[in-house]
Amino acid sequence: MSTPSYVPWTEKHKPRSIAEIKEIVGEADYVDKFVNWLKNWKPGSKAALLYGPPGVGKTLLVEVVAKEFNYELIELNASDTRTESVLRRLVGQSSKTISLYGARGKLIFLDEVDGLSGTEDRGGVGAIVELVKVSMVPMAMAANDPWDPKLRPLRDVSVMIEFKRLRMTSIIKHLKKICAREGIIADEKALRIIADLAEGDMRSAVNDLQAVAQGKSRLTVSDVSWLRARNRQYQAFDVLRMLFSAKRCDDARGVMNMSALDYETLMLWIDENLPRQYTDPEELAKAYYYLARADVFLGRMKRRQRWELLKYVIDFMTAGVATSKIRPYRFTKYSFPQKLLLMARARQMRALREAICERIASKCHLSKRKASTEMIPYLHVIYEAPGLAKKDISKWLRLDSSMESLLKKQG
Amino acid sequence: MAAREEIPALWVEKYRPRRLDDIVNQREVVERLKRFIEDKNIPHLLFVGPPGTGKTTAALCLVYELYGEVWRQNVLELNASDERGIQTIRERVKDYARTVALGDVPFKTIILDECDAMTSEAQWSLRRIMEMFWRTTRFILIANYGSRIIEPIQSRCAIFRFSMLSKEDVAERLKYIASQEGVTLTPEGLEAIWYVAGGDMRRAINLMQAAAAYGGPVDDVTVYKVAGRARPAEVHEMLKLALKGDVIGARQKVYELMINYGLSGSDIVRQIHTEVFRLDIPEPLKVEIEDIVAETDYRLVEGANEDIQLTAFLAQLARLGKKLA
Repeated sequence: MSTPSYVPWTEKHKPRSIAEIKEIVGEADYVDKFVNWLKNWKPGSKAALLYGPPGVGKTLLVEVVAKEFNYELIELNASDTRTESVLRRLVGQSSKTISLYGARGKLIFLDEVDGLSGTEDRGGVGAIVELVKVSMVPMAMAANDPWDPKLRPLRDVSVMIEFKRLRMTSIIKHLKKICAREGIIADEKALRIIADLAEGDMRSAVNDLQAVAQGKSRLTVSDVSWLRARNRQYQAFDVLRMLFSAKRCDDARGVMNMSALDYETLMLWIDENLPRQYTDPEELAKAYYYLARADVFLGRMKRRQRWELLKYVIDFMTAGVATSKIRPYRFTKYSFPQKLLLMARARQMRALREAICERIASKCHLSKRKASTEMIPYLHVIYEAPGLAKKDISKWLRLDSSMESLLKKQG
Repeated sequence: MAAREEIPALWVEKYRPRRLDDIVNQREVVERLKRFIEDKNIPHLLFVGPPGTGKTTAALCLVYELYGEVWRQNVLELNASDERGIQTIRERVKDYARTVALGDVPFKTIILDECDAMTSEAQWSLRRIMEMFWRTTRFILIANYGSRIIEPIQSRCAIFRFSMLSKEDVAERLKYIASQEGVTLTPEGLEAIWYVAGGDMRRAINLMQAAAAYGGPVDDVTVYKVAGRARPAEVHEMLKLALKGDVIGARQKVYELMINYGLSGSDIVRQIHTEVFRLDIPEPLKVEIEDIVAETDYRLVEGANEDIQLTAFLAQLARLGKKLA
């Protein structure tokens, strides 16, 4: 059934058991390696360092194993400064502490340890190494790149568990399963393109599938063609990192020249990731003030064909954003602009709403705008209520089932 | 090709009066309009008054009674806020006015609703159109605010002012509809509808139909439930999340509104505008927020990027929220 509501498929369709994970990854040994590490862990044992490219299921494995073996999982983001004090408290407690959830013990999981900045960070590498040595509870960590010299002390106290990129066949198999559950008939070739572009990253494959397939009953090659743009994202991550870490206006402005992204695309990337990078409300508000100004000038430039205004667009979105920070730059996990994925769907729903308004307008002697503000809110209530009036209304206004489900959306 | 008359499923339409005499209140207006029907002649008309007071209904009743069976062939209904500019209006009027009126009335009638949505330039063009076709066509112009209609048009029209409906008028009509529909309308329910809708009959009837959809009697509880439900809760939650500093969560709500309800950025800003005053925050802060809302609204009207401008608004809200804590 296709409802218009948005739930990430990476959540909805993620494997929920070890068996399910094994079914996807095949004979890969890291699942057993991690399970054995946890089974044999006692105070004084090494920590586990799970490493490998993004989207191959590191975090997922930890979550599923913890659940299946009845551990209470405590997930901490390693680049958070509060981490150290929380950690100190947690590792001191015996693993046999009876927790409220009746779990057998705790399992601490530090995600993204390669985001640690070595010396500056209070929750830095040294501190974690010390904690691993004295911990009364098992600690697992995850990183994309564990060979960074600054992580060496961590490697010394950890069992290294490598995750490889997922194979095309594994990804295609999983995508097929999702399509079956969502009632989508997908061309093998279309799924192959998605899997190919993902380069072993299951999360991005599933996200891409959702972006192109949600709400459809059939998926063809032409539906997936625009996904190729996504490939450029790694480059966008680098550009963002340079931009957000720039201290001087000239450095920030220079980012534009290094980027193969055009300024409008870069603007979307900044928009998506600003709230992740700047967490202090003061700096976020200020940075957004400039990004919004850049957008205003972009509009003026395009509307009046005054291309010389472009320099202000770029200055505001680069230098304006970069100099708004108060705290020093910190490692941040960036995301692909969600808006790009959601836009097609939003446009579709907007057209649907418009169509409903048109039908109301033609029957009720009012404008589409008034239909939208004066009538639709009440229709939402009527369609959500148990009464039968909605049947007659649908018939009278000739609403189809997709229009009905939009009206039922009120919750 | 006689269209089979269906019974409208929405009560606002089902109980829209078909004869001038059935119009609630507006006695004076009705008496004057009836004289035009006796003469089988009308001047250009301008109906002015608040929403839900019967302007469109009066126009429709007038043409039903004037033309009888052949009203469809002689009446063109246009809505100024839906037509793409005065050019399309001119074209449609021109095409329409070219053919001869059917029946014993020597002119056709064009009902042009929501005229105050027109720019003054468009109104000047409209004035010329009215002059050009005066032999064959009469206009009934409808607007909420007379002051937004340019003088030259006002002076060419007989102006009718529709007054706000009284509580008794609304109550009488609602009771009639309730009895026809087999719905129990309690005195408290009636009071609640009056509180929410005031003299706006359309809103009052919509409220009652939505409240009746719950299946039980229409009492104050169901009416307030409808009034609360009739606006997406997400907008309120979005503002609260932003004030708490969760800009990413608040932005997620924006996406939900766009995807689940098909709302545009401007639609959302319009809802924000009402919701801000319902927030539990110091009064001066509400005005400060409205200032940002106004700027955001203006930028969106000018075609700015919805996502960037709305998130920028939410980020400002988070900054203001921090001061509250």
